[in-house]
Amino acid sequence: MKLTTLFASATAVAAMTLAGATAAQAASTLEIVKERGFLRCQVGPPTPGFYNLDANGDWYGSDVAICQAVAAAIFGSKDKLEIQSVSSQVRFTALANGESDLLSRTATWTLLRDTQLGLDFTAVNFYDGQGFMVPKDSGITSALDLKGATVCVLTGTTTELNLADFSRLHNLDISPVTFEDTNVRNDTYLQGGCDAMTNDKSGLASSKAAFPNPGDHLVLPETISKEPLAPAVRHGDDQWFDIVKWTVHVLVGAEELGITQANVDDMRANATNPSVRRILGVEGNLHEGLGLTKDWAYNIIKAVGNYGEVYEAYMGGGELGIGIGRAGSANALWTQGGLMYSPPFR
Amino acid sequence: MVVVRTQPTSSRTAPLSETTVIGWLHKNLFSTVLNAVLTLICLYIIYVVVKGLWIWGVADAVWVAKDRRECFDISIDGACWAGVIQWIDNIFYGRYPRTELWRVNLGGLLLVLWMAPLWLPRVRAKIFIGLSTVFLYPFLAGYLFAGGDKSLFMQVMVTLAMVCLAGNTAHAIIGVSSGRGLPDTLLRWLGKDQAPEATQRNTLLVLLAAALAVGYALQTGWTEEVVPWSKWGGMFLTLVISGIGIATALPGGIILALGRRSKMPVIRVMSTAFIELFRSVPLITVLFMATTMFPLFMPEGFVLNKLVQVIIAVSLFSACYMAETVRAGLQAIPRGQYEAAHTIGLGYWGMMGLIVMPQALKHMIPNIVGSFIGLLKDTTLVSIIGLFDILGMLRSVSQDVPWRGLHKEPLLFGAVVFFVVCSVMSKYSRHLEVKLSAGAKR
Repeated sequence: MKLTTLFASATAVAAMTLAGATAAQAASTLEIVKERGFLRCQVGPPTPGFYNLDANGDWYGSDVAICQAVAAAIFGSKDKLEIQSVSSQVRFTALANGESDLLSRTATWTLLRDTQLGLDFTAVNFYDGQGFMVPKDSGITSALDLKGATVCVLTGTTTELNLADFSRLHNLDISPVTFEDTNVRNDTYLQGGCDAMTNDKSGLASSKAAFPNPGDHLVLPETISKEPLAPAVRHGDDQWFDIVKWTVHVLVGAEELGITQANVDDMRANATNPSVRRILGVEGNLHEGLGLTKDWAYNIIKAVGNYGEVYEAYMGGGELGIGIGRAGSANALWTQGGLMYSPPFR
Repeated sequence: MVVVRTQPTSSRTAPLSETTVIGWLHKNLFSTVLNAVLTLICLYIIYVVVKGLWIWGVADAVWVAKDRRECFDISIDGACWAGVIQWIDNIFYGRYPRTELWRVNLGGLLLVLWMAPLWLPRVRAKIFIGLSTVFLYPFLAGYLFAGGDKSLFMQVMVTLAMVCLAGNTAHAIIGVSSGRGLPDTLLRWLGKDQAPEATQRNTLLVLLAAALAVGYALQTGWTEEVVPWSKWGGMFLTLVISGIGIATALPGGIILALGRRSKMPVIRVMSTAFIELFRSVPLITVLFMATTMFPLFMPEGFVLNKLVQVIIAVSLFSACYMAETVRAGLQAIPRGQYEAAHTIGLGYWGMMGLIVMPQALKHMIPNIVGSFIGLLKDTTLVSIIGLFDILGMLRSVSQDVPWRGLHKEPLLFGAVVFFVVCSVMSKYSRHLEVKLSAGAKR
């Protein structure tokens, strides 16, 4: 009897879900967010550079800055924001079930994820790639020297698969030592438990900076995988997709145009460059299609600065930065040999 | 020949092995060569461990630094407690606004104030005090912690809780000083202690109504700033979740256990199915179901408070385990007790409440406290689903950029905190056992 009741209620619930899902198409994510009064933005468990808690319990990091930028674009204030920290196992479910409005975390943009998980990646805000780190005194200077080496790697990530691919491709016969926890992996590596350590290069740089003697270790030049990291939204709400995508573009565009958090007020009042005037809402009607206010881009830059400033603060040499050089990397502006490029604001 | 002594022989002095330290050492540690060798080996192991810990954790440790790099500069091998010290608010209170921390502290103090009468001698009606702690305190504390506008239901519950707390405290003070209860004393003051019972009852009701009116007026003027649950964290969150879990586990478990032993087939089957369903699933699965899968079945935009979902899941889960503990206790009561209760004319609830449960609960104390301790520790699983309880906070220290990689010290600190809390709980259970089994002592 109990079973039948359970089954009946389950069916009812499922039916309600379907009804709810179709009915909900009417309300756009933007309307839901405005109605609620704050943005729900999903990040992951604290990870240096991208999203972190400080000693006062506040969030900071480059992906948190994206969350703040979207909140500023909608509400004019970066504080109308709830940061949700979700483990990677349920990250896409938490976006799909409506718990989060936006996923701004180190999720690599891949074809399968883009097409099969019901989500859309917007615009890349960080180009990462997997690399290796070795102790300097090992004499290894290239990843191709790692023949027969034991390599420390985190389990359950694409990192592990990339390592296996790389080893097979170059006949290196690498034996992986897998870990669940970054700190344990780092300790093992430091105590000589493996010849090299592999991770995304941002992670390697951040781990290295935290070692007792960072100068004793070397990140090898090879990058063995492509990890474009981009904020993602639920599939099917194009307006919301546009808002998040163009928020990222505003950050890059502002840097291209030389607009910073410090000079944005001055620029809005005095700039003569038509692109600057359009992006800051002095002339033109760029905001209309997005459903935002005229000063949306101004609010973004005022709240978090431009892409370069965000990078410097959390990824680069800022006080809370993890010290990854930007010059010459894929994350530099296209005018400086990188891949950061914003479509025109017109 | 008969020798008769008029004085008793004076007793001999105790052997040296019983009175002196050296005697004790000889008897217990060095009685044979093998024991002596084992003692020395153990002492050496203890010496090495303690010395290592001391040098790392105290002698070479750094207590004040602005980041981990500075710790390394001062002492490269020692512990870096500076990070733990700087994170201490996060570890205990989570992201709770720093200016509002007094609310959490006050909530804790109120709980102590509420429960203190339970341990005081000469205080009566302890069952009522215990029940009010479980059913009223959570509303007062809940509003204190969360703040915001009060719904009508909350207003009523907060009023009741305030009046109950005031009454409780007055009752306890009167109880300790005179051994009487609060109603008696009030009547005596008003000179109504000789009046007929109906007058006494009416007087008390009037007083209660007046107290409620005052309480209602007081709570209307009391509003606190909203602190969303997503800012709750650290030890505070751990205690909230496990506290509610513990408070609901016992009543829930008793009901489920009685249901499972019931003679009514529907109730029995349903209780059994419920218990077995929850017991056969790991807690982490229940948590994932509650927080991630449940919203999928709900209409879009319908987002329940995640903390409430977690608390409900933890409560149901612990009630099911408690039900089995209670059932074990019930089975230890001989059939004769049930029959004896029936022969003196008690019905089902009288038999259970007055005869069977009190005896059964006494047998269950070690197991009950065991599951409470287990629940407290299991609560740390919520860090996996994105709530920053104490474990979540301890693990986040190593990711904060100034303290990157600092993971041993916070976890060790957390271990000490848990050890203290859990050993206090188990000490108290030992104390209860001794106190309640006084009659069974030979």
